[in-house]
Amino acid sequence: MTYPAAADLTLTAAIAATALPLAAFAVILLLTRGFPRLSAALSIAAISVALVCAGLLLVRHGHLETPLEYSTLWMAGGDIVVRVGFLIDPLSLLMLMIVAVICFLVQVYSLGYMAGDPGFARYYAFMSLFAWAMMNLTLAASLLQLYIFWELVGLSSYLLIGFWYEKFSASEAGKKAFVMTRLGDVAFFIGILLVLLNFGNLSILELNSPRAGFLPPAVVTVSALLIFGGIVGKSAQFPLLTWLPDAMEGPTPVSALLHSATMVAAGVYLLARLFPFFSMSPAALQVCLAVGAVSMLLSATMAMVSRDIKQVWAYSTISQLGLMIMGLAAGDYVAGVFHLTTHAGFKALLFLCAGVFIHACGGNDMFEIGRRGARHLKIPMICMIIAAAALSGVPPLSGFFSKELILAALAGRPSPIWLAAGLLGAFLTTYYTFRLIFIILFPRGEAQAKDAHADGHNSEAGYRVMAAPLIVLAAVTGVLGFGGHALGRFLLQGFPGPVPGAGHPTWLPFAALGATAAAVGLAWFEFGRRGADQVGFVERVEPLRELFRRRWYIDDAYRWLLDHVLYRVFSAFCAKNDQKVIDGAVDGLGGSMAAAGRILAVLHTGSVQFRLLVVSVVLILLGLYYFVYPLN
Amino acid sequence: MAGIPFGHVLALSGILVALGVACATARRNLIMILLGVEIMLNGASIAFAAAALRWQQLEGQAFVLFIIAIAAAEVSVGLALIVHLYHRTGSLDPEKFNMLK
Repeated sequence: MTYPAAADLTLTAAIAATALPLAAFAVILLLTRGFPRLSAALSIAAISVALVCAGLLLVRHGHLETPLEYSTLWMAGGDIVVRVGFLIDPLSLLMLMIVAVICFLVQVYSLGYMAGDPGFARYYAFMSLFAWAMMNLTLAASLLQLYIFWELVGLSSYLLIGFWYEKFSASEAGKKAFVMTRLGDVAFFIGILLVLLNFGNLSILELNSPRAGFLPPAVVTVSALLIFGGIVGKSAQFPLLTWLPDAMEGPTPVSALLHSATMVAAGVYLLARLFPFFSMSPAALQVCLAVGAVSMLLSATMAMVSRDIKQVWAYSTISQLGLMIMGLAAGDYVAGVFHLTTHAGFKALLFLCAGVFIHACGGNDMFEIGRRGARHLKIPMICMIIAAAALSGVPPLSGFFSKELILAALAGRPSPIWLAAGLLGAFLTTYYTFRLIFIILFPRGEAQAKDAHADGHNSEAGYRVMAAPLIVLAAVTGVLGFGGHALGRFLLQGFPGPVPGAGHPTWLPFAALGATAAAVGLAWFEFGRRGADQVGFVERVEPLRELFRRRWYIDDAYRWLLDHVLYRVFSAFCAKNDQKVIDGAVDGLGGSMAAAGRILAVLHTGSVQFRLLVVSVVLILLGLYYFVYPLN
Repeated sequence: MAGIPFGHVLALSGILVALGVACATARRNLIMILLGVEIMLNGASIAFAAAALRWQQLEGQAFVLFIIAIAAAEVSVGLALIVHLYHRTGSLDPEKFNMLK
């Protein structure tokens, strides 16, 4: 590794960006827990500096021919070398920027949203921890280092999802998120060990280099699939997708952060990070493609029947993450990362808008929010429509461009089924998005004349604090789409893998737009037009609605699996083993001791004469021994 | 005096001690236990007296006098204990006194 002359400033900036949030976390927890305003100021100051550093890094290394790696040896033994440090390449710089921007905006927004909460200081401490873990994950130079921060991201999201721990459902949701992502992480860790044993090195650059091509294909496939298991858990893909909708129990800004730039994005980021490694195994990519498609379609159907505004966005996150994974697995690196970027912007915006509505209307139910007059909240309503249009892929918003790139990549696959799935997904996404928008815009039933302005945010300052990040994000959503080509060029600098072909059928944008338009029309017909009864076509079919509402019975399947396999067979076996083998051995030992004691206790009658007899007998025997034995 | 061999006297004393042990361990009466102890002491005294005669030394006879004196004291203390126990429990059965079990 050669360090360019300018390396020092880069290193300093990287260290500052990744260390300051941790410092803020420690200071808040140790010193300033009693001072909520000071704690918030500390946390926001730390993330601002990190944001500036991230911007500086991005500007300095806008033209980066080869990735920079600053690393130091951590452990070495035999053939195994593990290094830690920073890896600076276009992908990590882009992701660092996304994380810093979203964290910053969410923390500013939380000033208004969380105002007056008794755990205000704690909230900001956890936010800083989250930002720190995610930034370090982004810049990690080796898989093991990435894994450590991967787990820390899981920990901090557990802490934030269960932030209102007095509420039983919140603490349950936190536990569920933790356990389900841990399931995937176990696979991820085994994958790391497999790579370490076979490759002797965990450096991400090394893994992505052609050197890894000398590994046996079976090893590459198996370890890629195991690592993908971690991605499935983290990014809430099928079959580990049910934790994400439950994670809505946390404060809304946390959901915004979780869904856009940090927790679930970490999974897709890892896939992009190891993209050349995954590319070496077509079989693994095929599995990724299938998992992404299934998750996208399943969660889109679930979103079609949900009444909870946050839950709709949560399902949509799963669906969009599935789409990103499909894009990456279809071989288009730029498309996947571009959609990750645009999605981070508009999904954060969607959640933050939802947060304003929930704050103002005091409930999550979208019909209720509509009835309470949410449409009178001009700024969040307009921002939410912009973000929803971006999510649906309406031009010229950012989502249109990134989605189209992914669809183009899917069109490049030999089998047309993937493109069909993608188009269907786009249709469903638009449908449920505009269903929500129309329900809120055109409330039915007795319109409660109460204006949300009056009782919702009685503090105008809090509202303004919350509105500012919305406007910034809406602006980003509006213009980011046009940066696609620049982003593509930036990302592909020094990229070792094959550059994906740009050719795609000319009818594709029209097909995508047609699907979007049809979905908007359908949503308008069912929810928007005057006289519509606001009951969707799936909600008319009872079994279908039940199926979607119960999340395709995935949770019930887990319950069944737990009850019938884990508890009845495995736990029962362990209990039997415990009772029969372990308890049996210990009890047997104790019992035999007691029995021996009982036999010996016969000698101890407490009778005086018996003792006298024993003494006499012993004396006689001793006498015999003493006098008779030597004579022999 | 020379008519009785020393061995016979020792045998007599051994038999007396054995009878004493049997009496002290087998009889179910506290007074009989005390009597058994007395008999053992007397058996030992006979051995001492015979030994004094056999070796023409007076220490043996002195021992016998001491044993008789101590036995008298021991009987008085032992009987006092037995009377006290009888008052407390109304029984002379040694099997009843097993509280140290």
